[in-house]
Amino acid sequence: MIPVLAHISDTAPRKRGGVRSLARRTADTISGAVREVLENDDLASSPGLMQALDPRVKLVSIVLFAVTASFVHSLAVLVALVLATMVLAAASGVGIGSFARKVWSSAGLFGVLLSAPAATAWITPGAVLVPLGPLSITAPGLLIAARLITRVAAGAGFGLLVVWTTRWTDLLRALGALGVPDLVVATLAMTQKQIMSLLRTVENMHLARESRMLSGGTAKENRGWVVERMAFVARRSMKTADDVYDAMLSRGFAGEMPSLVDLRATARDRIWLAASAAACVLAIGLDRMVLPL
Amino acid sequence: MHIPDGYLGPQTYAVLDAAIIPIWIVAGGRIKKALKTKQVPLLALGAAFSFVIMMFNVPVIGGSTGHAVGATLIAIILGPWAACIAVSISLVVQALVFGDGGITAIGANVINMAVVMPFVGFYLYRLIAGDDPSPARRVTAAGIGSYLGIVAAAVAAGIEFGIQPLIAHTASGQALYAPYPLNVAVPAMALEHMLFFGPLEAVVTMGIVVVLARQDSALLQMKPAAKPLRWLWAGFAGLLLLTPLGTLAPGTAWGEWSVSELKAAVGYVPAGLEKVGGLWTATIPDYAPSVIRDPLVGYFLAAVVGAALVVGVTWVIGKLLARRDGGSAHPTPPGGAA
Repeated sequence: MIPVLAHISDTAPRKRGGVRSLARRTADTISGAVREVLENDDLASSPGLMQALDPRVKLVSIVLFAVTASFVHSLAVLVALVLATMVLAAASGVGIGSFARKVWSSAGLFGVLLSAPAATAWITPGAVLVPLGPLSITAPGLLIAARLITRVAAGAGFGLLVVWTTRWTDLLRALGALGVPDLVVATLAMTQKQIMSLLRTVENMHLARESRMLSGGTAKENRGWVVERMAFVARRSMKTADDVYDAMLSRGFAGEMPSLVDLRATARDRIWLAASAAACVLAIGLDRMVLPL
Repeated sequence: MHIPDGYLGPQTYAVLDAAIIPIWIVAGGRIKKALKTKQVPLLALGAAFSFVIMMFNVPVIGGSTGHAVGATLIAIILGPWAACIAVSISLVVQALVFGDGGITAIGANVINMAVVMPFVGFYLYRLIAGDDPSPARRVTAAGIGSYLGIVAAAVAAGIEFGIQPLIAHTASGQALYAPYPLNVAVPAMALEHMLFFGPLEAVVTMGIVVVLARQDSALLQMKPAAKPLRWLWAGFAGLLLLTPLGTLAPGTAWGEWSVSELKAAVGYVPAGLEKVGGLWTATIPDYAPSVIRDPLVGYFLAAVVGAALVVGVTWVIGKLLARRDGGSAHPTPPGGAA
């Protein structure tokens, strides 16, 4: 369950006729990031197709799909891969709307903005579809932009499937089982924990500033405050590293990392991996031999 | 600067993904030697700090905000190798927990933000600050290092984007991945970071260095750089040897046309341009010395001359700053984490 504290920032009243101050905006951003992690953990713990898979198998199959999307050039196959991410999301209990919104906001929108000039005659000359002078939309330009956007959406969708259907601890166990050194896995585990702790600290700093200010302050004042707070976080980080290390030593730490790996693949995992590999081969085969670019 | 999946073709991301493994191995060996068992909490907190610093909204101009990356700052505090690992871990967490940055593009993102940025930023900082800098010189060095560090990272990303149309296109020449050629992608990435994100990164890094120098100067103790500087020179020499690759890009960079090229493109030459266009005649026009016939050799020699000039001017500025500081430099304890 998501702690009540994670909701506080979004429900607090806003100042100055609805315009959010810098402190409030930053606090909301951080609160959103923390809430996202907690919601992901909730979703990853609920029943669903992807959640039931061994994390190693899931990670390998998703990387296979992401690599396949990068090899495919046919727009039809790329669209099929995007649809596949949505089907997998739905089968894993992820709302299609929220999944599509997240893919769009994290990669799709950027893809559209970046590829838009490439759709014009300025970058890609060719048969004009929409005449707008030097910015006329051309057929080959539109194909380039559509291919880029669908490929980015497919890649982001597959990445999001891992993020939303795998608990962080399971992901770490999968990385350990796949040969990532225990030291790296332990550092990753500690990093995520410390990120959450530092985010809470930074959110509280901003909420405290918001509650003490009658006006938003000038850009110069805000910049000075932000830089000073960043320096505080830097000092706090290094101090915490010392404290954590002392705590590790006091508990008998001598450089050996306990392995987190205790995973067992079932017949279902093996079938899933074989089916994923077959789907990837099929996608590349269709792309290379059947469908036009 | 986080590159999502789909912008880079397999030929690019596979090479970059493979390239980061030896870098991580070397970095891991160096910090293990320096930090021993303390490396886990220090790197974890360094990575957490790297992540969190990107969450701060910094006011810029006109009510807009941006965020810093902080890789040079982390390199100043932890040393460049530890910063490389810490920022890499932060990027992996961003990709796997928050879906920010692609899975296949992890290598490219690590090269840009965890290798190019902290190493360029840190060694420029060291070069300008010297071993025993005054507070003002240290802050100036941090500003220049962080500014050029992020610009260098942006140029690296621009090159990764810009080579896509050259190495992956259809039979009719249509780009299969990022569609903009080098002469668009590199200036676009570089200008954006020179004008907006670079100054922001410099202001934030300088501000934090000022505060840390006042409140906890031990965090800013100078990290050893004599040996790694040799690697910097080796890398620099390698880059010089690779400069003839620049001749692969056809045409003229956007906005850098000569008067004759502009006339051919738009049919006339603007009066103002015609008037001031011939005021200065370059010593080595178009990076092609007139005495060298082979364009590849000429391009390489132009790169050597240009690099020597930049290094020479930087060296002179460093010497002048050192002379000005004189005996006012405050003592800093030797050694460091990495």
